[in-house]
Amino acid sequence: MKKKYIIFILILAVMGTWGSCKSDFLTVAPTGSLDQSLLATTNGIDAMLIGAYSMIDGQSSQFSWEPASSNWVWGSIRGVESNKGSNSGDQQDIQPIQGFTEDATNPFINATWRELYEAISRCNATIVIVNKALAASKITQDQATSYLKQAQTLRGWYHFDAWRMWNKIPYMDEKADPAVATNSEDVSDKIIADLTTGIDLPLDMGAIGRFNGTVAKVLLAKALMQMKHDYAGALILLADVKANGKKPDGSAIGLAATYGEIFDIANRNGIESVYTVQYSVNDNSGANNAGNGEVLNFPYKSGGSPGGCCGFFQPAQEFVNSFRVDAAGLPMLDNSYDLPANQILRDEGIAGGSPWDATKAYDINQGATAYSPAAPFKDLGYVSLITANKGNNPLTSPAAWALKWTEDNSKVVDPRLDWSVGRRGIPYWDWGVHTGSDWIRDQSYGGPYSPKKQVYKKSQEGKYTEVGNWTSGWTANGYRMIRYADVLLMLAECQIETNDLANALINVNLVRARAANPLGYVMESDGTTPAATYAVGVYPAFATQAFARTALQMERKLELGQEGHRYFDLQRWGNVVTELNRVLAYEETMDWGTLLYNHSTVSAKDVNYPVPQRQIDLSNGKITQNTGH
Amino acid sequence: MFKKRLTMQISTNVRRIALFFLSMVLSSSIIFAQEKTITGKVTAQGEGPLPGVNVTVQGTTIGAITDLNGAYSIKVPGTAAILVFSSVGYTSKQVVVGTQTAIDMILQSDVTALSEVVVTGYTTQRRKDLTGSVGTVAPAELTAVPTTNVSNALQGRSSGVTVIGNGQPGSTASVRIRGFSSFQNNDPLYVVDGIPTQDISSMNPNDVESISVLKDAGAASIYGSRASNGVIIVTTKKGTKGTKVTYSAYTGFSDPGKGPKNLCNTQQFADLQWLVYKNDGTVINNPVYGLSTNPTPTLPSWAANTNWFQAMTRTAYTQNHDLTLSGGTDNAKFFGAIGVNKNDGIILYNYENKYSARFNSEFSFLNSHLKFGENFAFAYRQNNTVAQLNEGSPIEMGSFRSQPIIPVVIPAGETITGLAHNYIPGDWGGTGIANGLGQAGNEVAVLTRNKDNKYWNINLIGSAFVDVKILQGLNFRSTLGGTWFNSYQSTYNFATYEGSENALTPSYNENAGYNLEWTWTNSLTFDKTFGQHKILIVAGYESNELGLGRGMSATGSGYFTDDPNYRTISNAAKISGASSYFNNPVTLISQFARADYSFMDRYLLSATVRRDGSSKFGSTNRYGVFPSFSAGWRISDEPFFKGISFINDLKIRGSYGMMGNQLAVDAANQFYSYGGDPSTSFYDINGTFSSSQPGFRPIRIGNPAAKWETNVTTDLGFETSFLNNKLGLKFDWYQKKTKDLLYNPELPGTAGAATQPYINIAAMTNTGVDLEFSFKDKFGDLGFDGSVIGSAYKNNIDKIAEGITFFDSNGGSRIGSFNRNAVGHSMGAFFGYKVLGLFQSDAEVASSATQDGAAPGLFKFQDTNGDGAITPEDRVFMGNPNPKFTYGVNLSFTYKNFDLTAFLQGSQGNDVFNWNTWWVDFWPSFAGQKSSDLLNNSWTPTNTGAKVPKATSLSNFSTNTQSCSYYLENGSYARMKNLQLGYTLPESLLSKISVKSVRVYVQAVNLFTITKYTGLDPEIDTQQANGSPNDLIRGVDYGSYPTVRQYIIGINLAF
Repeated sequence: MKKKYIIFILILAVMGTWGSCKSDFLTVAPTGSLDQSLLATTNGIDAMLIGAYSMIDGQSSQFSWEPASSNWVWGSIRGVESNKGSNSGDQQDIQPIQGFTEDATNPFINATWRELYEAISRCNATIVIVNKALAASKITQDQATSYLKQAQTLRGWYHFDAWRMWNKIPYMDEKADPAVATNSEDVSDKIIADLTTGIDLPLDMGAIGRFNGTVAKVLLAKALMQMKHDYAGALILLADVKANGKKPDGSAIGLAATYGEIFDIANRNGIESVYTVQYSVNDNSGANNAGNGEVLNFPYKSGGSPGGCCGFFQPAQEFVNSFRVDAAGLPMLDNSYDLPANQILRDEGIAGGSPWDATKAYDINQGATAYSPAAPFKDLGYVSLITANKGNNPLTSPAAWALKWTEDNSKVVDPRLDWSVGRRGIPYWDWGVHTGSDWIRDQSYGGPYSPKKQVYKKSQEGKYTEVGNWTSGWTANGYRMIRYADVLLMLAECQIETNDLANALINVNLVRARAANPLGYVMESDGTTPAATYAVGVYPAFATQAFARTALQMERKLELGQEGHRYFDLQRWGNVVTELNRVLAYEETMDWGTLLYNHSTVSAKDVNYPVPQRQIDLSNGKITQNTGH
Repeated sequence: MFKKRLTMQISTNVRRIALFFLSMVLSSSIIFAQEKTITGKVTAQGEGPLPGVNVTVQGTTIGAITDLNGAYSIKVPGTAAILVFSSVGYTSKQVVVGTQTAIDMILQSDVTALSEVVVTGYTTQRRKDLTGSVGTVAPAELTAVPTTNVSNALQGRSSGVTVIGNGQPGSTASVRIRGFSSFQNNDPLYVVDGIPTQDISSMNPNDVESISVLKDAGAASIYGSRASNGVIIVTTKKGTKGTKVTYSAYTGFSDPGKGPKNLCNTQQFADLQWLVYKNDGTVINNPVYGLSTNPTPTLPSWAANTNWFQAMTRTAYTQNHDLTLSGGTDNAKFFGAIGVNKNDGIILYNYENKYSARFNSEFSFLNSHLKFGENFAFAYRQNNTVAQLNEGSPIEMGSFRSQPIIPVVIPAGETITGLAHNYIPGDWGGTGIANGLGQAGNEVAVLTRNKDNKYWNINLIGSAFVDVKILQGLNFRSTLGGTWFNSYQSTYNFATYEGSENALTPSYNENAGYNLEWTWTNSLTFDKTFGQHKILIVAGYESNELGLGRGMSATGSGYFTDDPNYRTISNAAKISGASSYFNNPVTLISQFARADYSFMDRYLLSATVRRDGSSKFGSTNRYGVFPSFSAGWRISDEPFFKGISFINDLKIRGSYGMMGNQLAVDAANQFYSYGGDPSTSFYDINGTFSSSQPGFRPIRIGNPAAKWETNVTTDLGFETSFLNNKLGLKFDWYQKKTKDLLYNPELPGTAGAATQPYINIAAMTNTGVDLEFSFKDKFGDLGFDGSVIGSAYKNNIDKIAEGITFFDSNGGSRIGSFNRNAVGHSMGAFFGYKVLGLFQSDAEVASSATQDGAAPGLFKFQDTNGDGAITPEDRVFMGNPNPKFTYGVNLSFTYKNFDLTAFLQGSQGNDVFNWNTWWVDFWPSFAGQKSSDLLNNSWTPTNTGAKVPKATSLSNFSTNTQSCSYYLENGSYARMKNLQLGYTLPESLLSKISVKSVRVYVQAVNLFTITKYTGLDPEIDTQQANGSPNDLIRGVDYGSYPTVRQYIIGINLAF
């Protein structure tokens, strides 16, 4: 009996002991993460700042391609220089965006909002820690100043990007409370104040991926032009950049010698690049740093063609036609390039590759010239499958005919066309000649063109592309966020608006002259024959401000096409409704036009995107919708 | 009172001692004269010889125990002696000796509803005494349907328990007790031999002795903070006296069936393409079928007519072996078991092999005052699983995404110039043959290439205990146990050539991880009867540590050869990824107590309280207290009830109490933390092209104020048996109100994308009824045992968060979310536009509400708010994935040596969102397989009564871009889960070969399913999220691995 009591007492003692250490037992430190106190050092702050920079590509594993910084959806597709492409089932949420029927619940819009404010919150988190570290004397005032200026300039840029999208946005600084944020006030001054802090950053930041004084000046000028139409203010900044600007690593900026070289990945930090978003491949990021935002935008042909996926971002016919030039090599500023006589031949509806069976008898000469059928075959060439086939209508006796693509070099184009667009018959980087519909996922939906500027060269596969995944379309082809040509054209725009037409002419012609360098033409495989008939001339004069404006606006379309600027340019110029309705009316006449646009029209509300409904809901009504949406 | 009873007690003892001595004296003189020896054999009805039966002479201390063969021998004092045969679990029997010298006895099993002993929280109780709601599942039911996973075996077996599974070997079914009480994780707590765990997938169903389901607060709140999803207590088998060896085995095969019924063959698909061209007026040169202006499509020479479902499925074989050894003496008992299960899935190369072993033992010392014991189980599982419920799964990709024209393998004599590959005989066929074939993978190629992928895991679960009898009725028990889990996986991704979207470089991933959990429980139990007062008190102290685990994963790209023997990460041309995780451990400390009191077995009261402390919560809200009260009243024992003779027993009971839940909360929830990894916050700031500099970001917003979510449960029920206990009925009504429900409300975008904290904000209510009805009788040689169980619940979200009235959940659809969780509706309700029909004419379009893309032949949506325009505000709650009720019907018949069991299980009144329809009923939903309905029964100006909208390439608001009622189907079904015919060999035959019993059986599993659902299987499993089924996206058929018909033969042997 005694023994039992001893055991019982022992047990109670054990339980008691256990109880006494319980408070320690229930305190478990988090694993695999950092406490704020560990970050208040130069290394910690620098890492926070890099975290803020890392959102400049619009990508992280938390976000997919919707908020890509290249703005291929928001700037290019919405600007109708490109369409969604691919097939109608894939990424259907882009369809209403390109058709101007998007509603506030569109998930692409919400994803982009969330991405931009995540970027802003990282800037703010950095600023908070900088201030703490400074207060605790963990860093010097000089160090703090540099960190703060970078973080604030980044914050200004992210806000500006949001402003262009929605106009009505909340401004979030490091003290702002998300729970009470509103979008009712005009935040443009705050954005400008943030961007202004960066303009005296050093020119040499020691790293190509940081913002320096030059980058900050260009961004500030962009914001002044877009938000305030303050061309005089922007002009001073841009003129200074033209005269003294440097890349963030301190090296010189200027125009690249030839147009095409700009888009070669190897030259992503070349002289043309004022700021390029630094993509990196095979860096253990699961391709999230490798231009994931543009991963869908490659020609669609398995294995042998670039990327292999997913056939999105197909240039629009109207955009292609814009490259038609007159005898002087100047663009058709009256938009007459869209007239039937001027438009560029498309290979819509024609079998791709080399579909002819050599064993079958046909007479190419007889067929191709014998018949010039009416719509919808108006642009198509035919070959006869039988001799003496004249007069047979391919529509009524198709067995006698095969559609035949004949390269038509009779129409003179600006050489920048074939760097901006992949089209049939033209060499496509070092991938060989674009062979038409077998590079296209669904011609009847997206039309016959492929994107080109962001595509890698075959010789760069594995080096500048992510290895070992379902596509090679993750590349190091960083988005050229600010090109020198863009700076020159912005400067010219400011000069036009301040009526300095002479200097505007010089700057526009600098850009055109570079494009005219025949060394920069796309060449046939022999390396010497231009792939099409190219011409580009300089403007002799800008007779009037209105003419200069038109020329400048066309120049931005041609020079910066497919680079995510178009819609925002139109927004700045107040042309969204008129210009896009004109373009859509033309695109609707294409074979794929109805499927794509479904009789869309653009109205006044469409100068901005709707504020995401989810954000309005989450704010409990403190965030309100744009007028008209 | 106390004093009086004590005196009584003493006097009783004195009397007993006196009697004892008296009988000793008497017996020595009397026995000699009249005693004789009786021998015989005791058998159990339907089970064979019964060892360990107590045979006593009534009113004496004379006794014997049957041996292994059930034989006994006893000396009785005379012919008037009465022999009493008793054994736990059997009805005692008495026989007057008379002139007999040999008495054989057959004992009947005594598991009637009332005398059944039920394992509950930290104790066992007679069912008779229960005041809480407790369901039980008999072990025979667990092994009736061949499965290696106990979770699947629970389906249709206990009221209040809803189980949804799938056909993949070894998969774990979703087990939900009485609806849902959390947005995040509604898995019940399993307690295996006293050790709490969230996963019992490693357990061999054959090792289970009993399962109790604690459903209400009265029963479960003793598990406090982990009880709110219900508790399932699993007790494993123990040894009994004597030795017993059993062996059971079965083998059989599954038939994949014919697959989807309404898909196009090659010619139909080509005709459909022509119909689309005609409808759209498209003129194009189709890369496969030629010029669209041709009157008919031309099939290319390589055109196959592949039935992809049949190509990627097979007849799958299963075999299972279980060997058990058990035995013991008065002071030592053991049970050992070994199980082997090899289970092939109907999908090519899909399998699971499971090897399990268990050893349970118990030793007692000091005249049973001290007991030691242990339960230990080991399971090794090896499998090659396939994905399900997503776009890349073979079920979805192979069945609904692959065009029939694509050959599986290029046949002899055929060469094809493809887009990027020239195909020769023996090559895999694929979408790279020509433009327009879509982008589905060749599923047969994928599965064949994956056949050498390997996954295995080892699970250990075990506990050891010491039990000290301090005083009569007062026991102390200490149990230390835990689980250990280790897994390893190797996956090789081949470079492909056959598709339109190819992987150019092979890659290889290896990952491994471990997890450890331990629990230490100390409890005191006081169990004593004082006359008509019965008291059971249990109080204890428990500590837990969970989630002690780490893991790592690495991926290499570029391999010189695809040879399986060459696959290491180090052999890669480049290591393309490496990562690891470090679990945040969770600790829990608990005190608990329960007191049961019953008076005259008629008035029953019980109170429970548990206090839990958890490291998941900040120091201010670390502890939660969970009390409950329950009471029962056996009306049938009241004098006024005596006249009602057909009712044998009637008990009404009720309970009220609280239970907690903390599964939703991450261990780091209370901390505001920073961090970063290459994929979220690194940046190539130096412009290197191929390396990025480390960067950080806020990764988690902390909420130190979070506390337990609390579930307030009310339960009212009755249990009754009548007509000589032949009929039994159990009924419960309950209401579960979850308050302070932990939810991580989406923060405004302006707060950034750091992980949002869980806060106690939402509320939810479940109300429902559980019903169990049983009938048992014997008609001559024909025995019948039948039961029906039914469960119904209604789930309602009462609150989500301030200002937030809904959130959507998406399981990977291409057109947004289908499931909306909104206040006033049940979790995961289907939300979208209601389809009124198809527009028939331009005039109808013009006269209807404005609708984007509206055109004849396309959907006409309901203008719910009548504002003349179809906008997002017109969407409605159009269906419910939750069934009105689920049921199981079990019928078993015995006739002489034959037994026949039928088990029917079903679900009624639930909707299924058939996402597969989106792929096949709409031409622009990717260029994959299409339905024959789209060809034959789609809208044209002349076929206006069509089922399917117009076949068109148009993809817009009025076709395939919106969640709408078109995809909803009635998901009700009734399934014959089990039909089994067994034959037990006669004993006479067996005695010669010293085998105790032999039973052979044939069985058909899932013989038929009655349903209107048009997909592969109406039982739609739920996607997993963080290892638990995601209840927010229930009922969406993203391609669920179908449960198919299976035929089995088996044998049960006992030695």
